Amino acid sequence: MTRRRVLLQTRIARHIAFAVVVSLVLSALVLVVFRHQAVRRVMERSARTFTSLISLPLTERFGFLGSGGKGLLDQYIVQLQELNDDVERLEIVDVRGNVFLRAEGNNVILFGDGIEPPIVTDRELLRAISGLEATAVQVTEADGSDAYRVVAPVVKQWGEHVYSVVGTFTYANVDRQLRSSLWLSALILAAGLGLTHWVSVTLAGGITRDVDVLRAGVMRIQEGRLEERVSIDSGDEIEELADAFNLMADELVATIRQLREANRELETLDQTKADLVANVSHELKTPLTALRGYLELMAEGGLGSISEESIRAVMVCRKNVERLSLRVEELVQLSRLDRFTSLDSAREEIDLKSILDGIIDTFRPRMEGGGVHFVLQVQPELRTLEVNPEQIERVFLNLLDNAVKFTPTGGTVLVLAEACDHEQRQGVLIRIQDSGVGIPPTELIRIFDRFYQVDPSSRRRFGGMGLGLSLVRSIVEAHRGAVWAESEEGTGSTFFVWLPFGDFGRDGVNHGGPSVRLEEADGDSKAVREA
Amino acid sequence: MARVFVVDDEPDMVDLLATILRSDGFEVDTDTDGRSALARLLADPPDLVLLDLMMPDLDGMELLKLLRLDSKGANVPVLVVSARSGHQDQLGTLQLGANAYICKPFSPRELVRQVRQLLETSEAETNA
Repeated sequence: MTRRRVLLQTRIARHIAFAVVVSLVLSALVLVVFRHQAVRRVMERSARTFTSLISLPLTERFGFLGSGGKGLLDQYIVQLQELNDDVERLEIVDVRGNVFLRAEGNNVILFGDGIEPPIVTDRELLRAISGLEATAVQVTEADGSDAYRVVAPVVKQWGEHVYSVVGTFTYANVDRQLRSSLWLSALILAAGLGLTHWVSVTLAGGITRDVDVLRAGVMRIQEGRLEERVSIDSGDEIEELADAFNLMADELVATIRQLREANRELETLDQTKADLVANVSHELKTPLTALRGYLELMAEGGLGSISEESIRAVMVCRKNVERLSLRVEELVQLSRLDRFTSLDSAREEIDLKSILDGIIDTFRPRMEGGGVHFVLQVQPELRTLEVNPEQIERVFLNLLDNAVKFTPTGGTVLVLAEACDHEQRQGVLIRIQDSGVGIPPTELIRIFDRFYQVDPSSRRRFGGMGLGLSLVRSIVEAHRGAVWAESEEGTGSTFFVWLPFGDFGRDGVNHGGPSVRLEEADGDSKAVREA
Repeated sequence: MARVFVVDDEPDMVDLLATILRSDGFEVDTDTDGRSALARLLADPPDLVLLDLMMPDLDGMELLKLLRLDSKGANVPVLVVSARSGHQDQLGTLQLGANAYICKPFSPRELVRQVRQLLETSEAETNA
């Protein structure tokens, strides 16, 4: 989250900084290229004007040399040079190229009086000297530096053109000025960069501040503070976004309220249903008790002797009352399980072996009577289970009842219990294997569904409403266990019940002890039900 | 002969319980209303009470509570007859002072067995 926010601000800042730097660099370039040219032009114009202006007075003074003496001339020339900062050298040359005077600063040299005058050999310069119009040209000095040379012919009257004044001007001053302004702009650029950084970060921060406010709002909703809203008054898309977000939060709150109400209604309905089942079972049980009681009294002769036929009829009635009672009890158990109340309040640590022993004892007479062999193997030193004993008893009661019911005479019912991991959780696996008719693979997946029976005719043969296995599943799932079945038609069925060790609220606590991996059976003939 | 008092709002149930107990040689008093039953129980405490839980007006739980509050009814053995078969229901009734619990639908033999057992325990306590 934080990383993203910084990125957004940096991105905006980078854009702003880029724009400012480009404009600064461009202006610096313009300064260097165009300004440089312009400043040189100004210097050159002033050089031409200066040379033209001084050409006549200078040559006149030079002509009056005899009357004033060299000292006065020198002084005059020095004063002239002070009028222009850029002048480097002034020369007076005749049309043939003989140099008569050369002044560089205070150094004024007069040629002719004993000193052989130097002669100009440069053709271009000679042409300029002999011409009648003032000319100017850029030249390269002996030391390699650029210079500007102005040639001003002195024409006193028509035809009288003896001398020309040659002024040589340096660009040094101009360049120095330019260099210093270049430095100045570099300084401004650097300062501008710093300023740009600060401004862009601040600007970007201003833009992202609203995004931050929005983000904080989203975080609050995420934390479950649904009543909070985001207030942004920026007038831009972010405000629109915040408004949309607030609307969404309103919708969310409304939906949650609706869901809660619906849930409350469902809870009430569920409670009503449970109460109904409880009341119905009471209403059913009381008449059943009366029926059972009188029938039993009659059968045992407690109400006086009755005929053989009557006794047989009474026995049939009794058997059917028993069946009705069992079904009513199943219904009550199922309705109670749906509410998960009895499970949480009645957990106890139990020893699996003693529970299995107890149940099997109740079945032993029935199995022996039906000629069914029975084998029970419980892994020694198996850990205790924390379960609702009443319900777990019901699980094995139902499964064993099925196994015995469907195993023909001479068949075998096998019960095995061993420690076994299931989905990385430690627990115990109990197999209840019969050698009965088996269950077709297509039916296997549905046998744990409520009110389902494999074969409609079995309902008549074996009784029951198909609640037994669904009750088993409900109980095992309430204990965070799993139940499934494998079967081969004609060979028999095996029901698997896996229950976690210890408290079924805390899983995966290792308490040692041997364990085996759960073997995966071929998926076709296997139905898995897990919590 | 031991005297058993049957309290149940269902006349058929009262009739059945009385028939079973009389055929086994007990003397039986009955009442189908909680309030009048409580008054009669306190006026002349029997040897044992057979009490139905779900009754209109004053139900079995309330009756049991009031019975145990009175010195005359404090030690009368009470066998609760109820349609509720849950672990919690049984526990609750026993905590309120019932001595035993029998679930509907029960067999006459089971009822008589429980009644005899309770009377024996109560007699042993009285003699001791």
